[in-house]
Amino acid sequence: MSRIRADQLGVRFLFDRQRNVVSPALARLHRRGTAAWGLHDVTFSMEPGEGVALIGPSGSGKTTLLRIIAGVLSPDHGRIEIEGRVASLLSVEAGLLSVLTGRENALLLGVLAGLSRQRTRAVLDEIKSRSGLGGQFELPVSSYSQGMRARLGFAVADAVDPEILLLDEVHEALDHEFRDVVEERARRIIGEGGIVVAAGHDHPMLARLCSRAFLMSNGEISSIGDFTGLQRTYVGLGHQGAPVTR
Amino acid sequence: MDGARGGAYHPVVESDAARTVTIDAPRPVAQTTRATAVDVLVSLTASDLRARYGRGPLRIFKWLLDPFALVGVYLLLVTFVLSTGGRAPGLSIACAVVPFQLIMSTVMNAMMAVTTRRTIILNMGFRRALIPVASALTESVAFLASFTLFMLMMAAYRVEPTSALVWLPLVVAANIFFAIGIAYPSSLFGLWFRDLRNFGLSFIRTLFFLAPGLVAFSQIHGRAHEWLQFNPLTGLFEAYRAVLLFGEAPAPWEILYPCGCALVMLLVFVPFYRSEQRQFAKIVE
Repeated sequence: MSRIRADQLGVRFLFDRQRNVVSPALARLHRRGTAAWGLHDVTFSMEPGEGVALIGPSGSGKTTLLRIIAGVLSPDHGRIEIEGRVASLLSVEAGLLSVLTGRENALLLGVLAGLSRQRTRAVLDEIKSRSGLGGQFELPVSSYSQGMRARLGFAVADAVDPEILLLDEVHEALDHEFRDVVEERARRIIGEGGIVVAAGHDHPMLARLCSRAFLMSNGEISSIGDFTGLQRTYVGLGHQGAPVTR
Repeated sequence: MDGARGGAYHPVVESDAARTVTIDAPRPVAQTTRATAVDVLVSLTASDLRARYGRGPLRIFKWLLDPFALVGVYLLLVTFVLSTGGRAPGLSIACAVVPFQLIMSTVMNAMMAVTTRRTIILNMGFRRALIPVASALTESVAFLASFTLFMLMMAAYRVEPTSALVWLPLVVAANIFFAIGIAYPSSLFGLWFRDLRNFGLSFIRTLFFLAPGLVAFSQIHGRAHEWLQFNPLTGLFEAYRAVLLFGEAPAPWEILYPCGCALVMLLVFVPFYRSEQRQFAKIVE
């Protein structure tokens, strides 16, 4: 069973005088700089079989939280425990390198996601089929549209048989046909006791996948609750979100 | 992030809590199908090489011609056009230029290695600590093509291969080990000081001229002779000369000193890099 538990998570960004983000080591060399918490005092737990939506305005910390769960970032404060294989689709570029073909990217990303080279080679045709790219799987990714990149990224992420799936607005770049594929897969993960965490402004899709939501604001979780209720609260605050139709 | 709370820092001090952060590793896939460090290294290196040499049958020619484009023309000029003194001057210079090219290209690769993989770093967690090693391995594969230059030079000067060639793998291994060692600080430098990358490269070039690159070590006398020994490139260059030019086993210091320097760099910078790689996604964003 999958589980995510976070206790007082914090992620801090440090800036030099030119407002460039710097690492802590480099920040020591800069006499004057500023710090800002991108995520502050975030505590939550996600249980098996849950779909959780992260909603909130841009800059509220949704992506930062997803990045921590994905292992892209480490917290500067607090603790996070993750049980389960994680697959992530956190940017439209989906981790793809433009100069490589779809196949070459799939081979690289499959290994980086945790599969052996041998195993990744064995599932390459499956990835090709799942992506629906056909012959374009053999072409450089630089020739792909955003939707095609997202398709390939998702197909690779899916190949690791994830128990925890993280989606950050990327699914909004997908065409309707492939959105159905993603939704169906996400529902299956939830049904098998996994966890899906999705962030974005496509509230109808989030509503179909997620029963629970975290409303985020200024790097903190301001409310946790039922998706529909929190979505109404969020829209009531004056934020735009596509209307939910169940 | 824009709306997040902020404040000044003078200086930044990590909280105790930050040191107690633990992330439990995600449960791996079945043992037999799990990627090893070797898998990750091979994949990173292979993708790097693919991006450089492309696809199809011509890539082997690109690989073989690359060293000639980088240093071969210069060496051929020294060998066949300029009349310089000393024993097999073209081969002697090749014994410095070729191993230096591995170091130089590794530094260049490592400086860009993190930003080149920006899209991956922002999308998924993986063994980012292996990125500098992949840079060194990519350049090592490219470097192996340079051995055609050695063969050409030896043929041009009629220097016959001797049994000392059995030492060549050890010398090459020391060269690659030094490249791996310098890849870690280079990677951090390239990320922290993007505007100063050219200065970093100039520093490495300076190391070449502060070593017996254009003349053999034995032809340098006085205080310079003593000082140049502290440059780890001196040992590497002389080790190649010993094996390829003079048909001798390299002196132990010629191997041990560069390896020792590489080891020190690894001991200092790998822990530092492992700590910093947790912040890469913030910096490359």
